[in-house]
Amino acid sequence: MSARNEGLLAGLLFKSLVGTAALLLAAFLLWALRSLIVPVLVSGLLAYICRPMVSELERFRIPRGLAIGLLLLVVALAALFVVDRLRTLVPSQTGAVELKIRALYAINERYRGLMDLDPTLTKGNRLYQLVRADSDPLLDRVNQLLALTPEERSLFYASRSGGAATSNSPDRLLDQDRANLQTIDLRTRAARIAPGAESLPPRPAGLYEGSPAGGPVSYLAQLLSNWIIAPLVFLFLLSDTGQLKRGLLSMVPNRLFEPALIVLADLDHALGDWLRGLFLESCLLGITVALLLTVVGIPLRWAIGIGLFAAATNAVPYLGSAVALLGGLAYALLAQQIHPLIPMVSIDNLAIWVIAAVVLAEVIKSAVYEPVVLGGAVKLHPLVVVIGVTGGAILFGFVGVLLAVPAISMFKVFVASTARQLNAYGLI
Amino acid sequence: MNWKDRMIALVGVKNLLHPRQDDAEPLDPSARALFHPNPKFRHETGGDLVSFLKQTALFGDLKPGELHRLARIVHERSYRDGESISEEGKPGAALFVLRSGAVEITRRAYGGKQVLLATLEPPASFDELAAVGEVARWNSARARGPVSLVALGRSDLDALGGHYPATANKILKQLARITAARLQMLVESQYFGGQDQESERER
Repeated sequence: MSARNEGLLAGLLFKSLVGTAALLLAAFLLWALRSLIVPVLVSGLLAYICRPMVSELERFRIPRGLAIGLLLLVVALAALFVVDRLRTLVPSQTGAVELKIRALYAINERYRGLMDLDPTLTKGNRLYQLVRADSDPLLDRVNQLLALTPEERSLFYASRSGGAATSNSPDRLLDQDRANLQTIDLRTRAARIAPGAESLPPRPAGLYEGSPAGGPVSYLAQLLSNWIIAPLVFLFLLSDTGQLKRGLLSMVPNRLFEPALIVLADLDHALGDWLRGLFLESCLLGITVALLLTVVGIPLRWAIGIGLFAAATNAVPYLGSAVALLGGLAYALLAQQIHPLIPMVSIDNLAIWVIAAVVLAEVIKSAVYEPVVLGGAVKLHPLVVVIGVTGGAILFGFVGVLLAVPAISMFKVFVASTARQLNAYGLI
Repeated sequence: MNWKDRMIALVGVKNLLHPRQDDAEPLDPSARALFHPNPKFRHETGGDLVSFLKQTALFGDLKPGELHRLARIVHERSYRDGESISEEGKPGAALFVLRSGAVEITRRAYGGKQVLLATLEPPASFDELAAVGEVARWNSARARGPVSLVALGRSDLDALGGHYPATANKILKQLARITAARLQMLVESQYFGGQDQESERER
């Protein structure tokens, strides 16, 4: 072997070793700093959404710093307004107690009716015989969850006229509460009698059960320390006027400069198309859900609320429709009277109509809105979406679920565009 | 139009870009800006990017604010002697403005030999059409000595057009003027340059 070949081989070996070491170091850093990935991605996505607004303000000769300040001020005011409006919807402490009583009563009564239970709650129809092993424990948990604590009971009694449980005046809520107590008592007895029955599980210990050792304070501190970087990243990215892209491209070798420019432009287009499409689709889904729920009898005020939540959560695949379904069913459970626009809907079959309305909204979304408004955006196979969302949930929790689809879409565009450009420039 | 069609349309480019005689008629200012050093151009290697952009034919019409905005989106690149800047037949994604050094524009002849078409000096620009649309380049560009370039990507120009249409419009107008001037020079070279040479030979 000639000295030149030996030199080339040694160079290649050295480069391979350095490359492998760099890859391992990058993988280690990525793993060690994984808790920062989600805050950085979330703030990056928010900055990307806000950039066009800042640029629009700049067109009116407003300095970028001032434009960012104005945008933050408007967002803060809008958030305050929304929180204020939401606060009026949140029931008071007494209202929440009353809601629990009504919900528990409605659930128990509907279960009793559906399963055709006898007064002892131990015998029912064939359906009950078939599903009791699973449905009874589930209902027990619901009863336990919605049962009033001693403090809540005192508050409830104090709030009623006469201020005592012994009051003989007709009070529908008091009657429902008594019925609830009776049902819980019967269910406890039935659970004891049932062979192999499990005793009712203890009440959840608290919000922070399962959190890292050190209790809620250290958990909160850890969460804050990770997310404290988010506003800084957001402000930095928003005030960036191209330095980041230029810095990134300056590290690219000359022969890869133009392919890298095109890949970055493709990523920008894909992300922009996806965000615009998602925004439009969410708005359309929210309007559709609100309209359909109004048609089946849910008051417009609540239908709009459910539609808004459905639109806001539509970023996570299938979550928007799931939220609409849960909201509609919760209303159907608690409703005392409805005003449907179609005659065949009644208080008894409202839940079925709510399910039909949400399914119809989901079908319209998939068959009409997605092809129209997301036609230009990246298309992913539903299986890829489900696996990606599940993986995101396992790795990063709820935010992982939220970011799974854009992350997979961007990765797909990156790989496809890079391969296309490297091929076009004869580099592969 | 593919590169072969374009080559037929631009027949004469070789003649046009032959080295000019010292006693030749002076070119009009726009042509000088395209293919020859701008006499007013001041070499400021490592100097202010904005003042360099102001001296170029492409961006000379922009106001100071627009030049600052442009300076934030262009990319400064450095090339070694002999390094390829762009290659014939490959897609283009950016136009280049020469800031320092010299760039050779070549074209592969049918036999495969590289023919030197022009040697550019600052502040000449080249590959302008790549910034307007997706085109396969009809020539190659190579650094002669160490070269410093300013590149403007097509996507960057698109983004500029989205946010600042007036600025992008000025650049595109200037780009159209440059392209038209080149076309005029090519036509003149094809139909009148040859006659001049023949009459000179007869004399």
